[in-house]
Amino acid sequence: MEIIYTQLFGSILDMLHFKYLLPLLFGTIAGVIGGALPGITITMTIIMVLPFTFGLDPLQGLAAMTGVYVGGSAGGSITASLIGIPGTPSAVATTFDGFPMTRNGEPGRAIWVGVWAAFLGGALGGIFLIASTGPLAAVALEFGPWEYFSLFVFALSMVAGLVGTSITKGLLSGAIGLVITVIGTDPIMGVPRLTLGTDFLRGGFPFLPVLIGIFAFAQLMSDIEKMRRGAGGVAAAGPTPRLWVSQAKVLWEILSRPFLLVWSTLIGVLIGVLPGIGGSAANVMAYDQAKKFSRHPEKFGTGIPEGIIASEASNNANVAGSLVTIMAFGIPGDAVTAVMLGAMTIHGIQPGPLFISQHPAVAYGIYAAYLVSLPLMVLTIAAGSRLWMRVISVPKSILIPIVLVLCVIGAYALNNIMDDVYVLLLFGLAGYAMVKLGIPLAPLILGLILGDQIEVNLVRAIANDPNPWLFITHPISGGLLAASVGSVVLALWQHRRHQQRAGMPEDEDNDF
Amino acid sequence: MPSLHTKETKTMKRIIAAVSCALVAASASAAYPDRPVKLIVPWAAGGDTDNIFRPFAPLLQKHLAQTVVIANVGGASGTVGEREAKNAPADGYTVFAPHDFVHSAYYTGVTDVRYTDFDPICMISSTPSVITASPKTPWKAWAQLQADAKARPGQITVGASLGSTSQFSMALVEKAAGIKFKYIPYDGLAPRMNAILGGHIDLTDSNLTQKSKVQAGLLKFIAIMSEKRNPEIPDVPTMKELGFNVVYAVSRGLMVPKGTPEAVQATLATACVAAAKEPAFANSMTLQGTEVRFLDRKGYAQFLKDNDALYKEISDELGLTKKR
Repeated sequence: MEIIYTQLFGSILDMLHFKYLLPLLFGTIAGVIGGALPGITITMTIIMVLPFTFGLDPLQGLAAMTGVYVGGSAGGSITASLIGIPGTPSAVATTFDGFPMTRNGEPGRAIWVGVWAAFLGGALGGIFLIASTGPLAAVALEFGPWEYFSLFVFALSMVAGLVGTSITKGLLSGAIGLVITVIGTDPIMGVPRLTLGTDFLRGGFPFLPVLIGIFAFAQLMSDIEKMRRGAGGVAAAGPTPRLWVSQAKVLWEILSRPFLLVWSTLIGVLIGVLPGIGGSAANVMAYDQAKKFSRHPEKFGTGIPEGIIASEASNNANVAGSLVTIMAFGIPGDAVTAVMLGAMTIHGIQPGPLFISQHPAVAYGIYAAYLVSLPLMVLTIAAGSRLWMRVISVPKSILIPIVLVLCVIGAYALNNIMDDVYVLLLFGLAGYAMVKLGIPLAPLILGLILGDQIEVNLVRAIANDPNPWLFITHPISGGLLAASVGSVVLALWQHRRHQQRAGMPEDEDNDF
Repeated sequence: MPSLHTKETKTMKRIIAAVSCALVAASASAAYPDRPVKLIVPWAAGGDTDNIFRPFAPLLQKHLAQTVVIANVGGASGTVGEREAKNAPADGYTVFAPHDFVHSAYYTGVTDVRYTDFDPICMISSTPSVITASPKTPWKAWAQLQADAKARPGQITVGASLGSTSQFSMALVEKAAGIKFKYIPYDGLAPRMNAILGGHIDLTDSNLTQKSKVQAGLLKFIAIMSEKRNPEIPDVPTMKELGFNVVYAVSRGLMVPKGTPEAVQATLATACVAAAKEPAFANSMTLQGTEVRFLDRKGYAQFLKDNDALYKEISDELGLTKKR
């Protein structure tokens, strides 16, 4: 153990050399910007960085990529909090409380709670990563198709906690999300389903254009409506927005809730270790857990720090989790780590179980890059904070077209095909219609993330052994299914108690 | 006025003629390529195919003397990118980077696009398949695996992308050895690796990129489906040595939409030869456990034709062929 820390300390010192620090800083800045721009994901940013890394030495390239990963995961919260559009899929839950907090006139607090939660969650996750790569990776291997199926069902049960005021509408939204995943080429045999014989539907509805469409368009349209009503060209009407906050106070807001922080971090790390869904699910799961354990669940969604902390701590800890499987087995946990793995392969480094012993300088270098990029991320956001904060005072008539253009570019750049842009448009309209009808958007996103994974793992399990009881008799799987039932019951109980206290259903929350 | 009018018309005619002459001359003389070339890789960045074309693209760019941009167009087992490439203008500015899925995807009905919708430019690489077993299986060598498979037909699980190359390779083994496996759908090498390390599947088709896991004792290479043993893994026997005529590799190359002008195809082919012969390319392929296997336009066309017939045969035998 001691050797590990000596080696790690040495690597951190190396990382502070100009040679590595510069690419790391460059990566972190690129990540924060890419993460903050709606429609531009961390994956795209990292692919843009990839060609630059060919000419560098492997660790310089990997440092730049680690910087992008960490910066991007935190950067997504900026847009989520300031304009209510998740900058990356892993910041969806940050919009739930971050944006209301901005509307309440505290954009500075929303940003900084997010940033510090990201920092602390990331740092805690890093400790898990370094101290227990082996055991964590062993957990991941225990997950066969039965366990994955039950895990994703458990994740889906969180729809019950996200339904908003009407259970029916929430379930409807979740169901729509699941149905969307059925359209297109099926994930097992490649058989076209519900495509109406068109090429357009064969590719299905890719996750990202749907996400951007649903959130960005719906959000921007309701902003436009407010403009027309004469709420003024300036975004945050009502109380004068407070941009400056005491960092000590914000830090205390997070550190005074140690259980929330640690629990959210754990969820993030675990979801990161298990390949398949990544940060896009971790943040929603952590948010839901925070709400369930809270003494005042009804306040979630009104702009309280707990919601932001849960989401941001978990999605940054998720980064650490994804790095675990690369370190332990050389298996990428998500699209971002797949590109990192590709970069290593091109440099002739075979990541795998012997990676740490064969290439200690690179392996510990990645750990070090991860740890050093966290403070760099905070500094980057602090340095740019004047700029971020100005975003909310930009007249909406200028901001909205810019954001829309970015969304279209992002949707196109994902797969380099125009069809994705049409998907964006289609779901933009759908999202707006849903907001008008008071149907919450979050359950749809959860259904969309989980649908394919639930289907694929169900088919795998049954192809392996048709006995359905195995879902219950496998201990991890059975436990997760029991937790799913518990999760739904608890959510329904909280929902009912909340409505009884309120005496009647609260006025519709138009955002989620 | 009429005279003036005629004069004007004449002048106009002359101008038009001159301009169109210039345009024709320009289009004829503007040597291809005069703008960046898009290379469609039909899978996500970081995958096996992407990793092969990433180091290749800069070399192609060098010999083409024009920027080559990789566009990852993923989705539906590579067929979204395939269709995108087919529908692109046949002007040489869109090049398609496929592998053998073009045959299997056609016969299993995933797509209507066929390899004949493209003109072959060159084949660049060949990645031999290796039968890979989970550490939780008892077999030490092929003989034990075969005996076990004979004793328990249809019970040994194989993780594969159904209807794609990783199933076809194992199907060839089944056929040659007279055994039966049970296929579990795992699309992509990464999820297959996760499942096989945990013992959730017994076997899978992998390649030399997984060598380090074997060295660490986390995986077992049973046999390689190449003509000769690979110097990187000298202890692993070939299927041929074991007495089965199974040779299988995933081949990758370049194609352009059908109807691309002959001169353009020739230019691309020349650049491709030069790029594939660069030591840097050979080096990066070795690092990835892949062999450089170059075939020119004619050779690649014949290869595709033979390969297509082979895939049709396996697809029919597996009952995967979709009636059209």
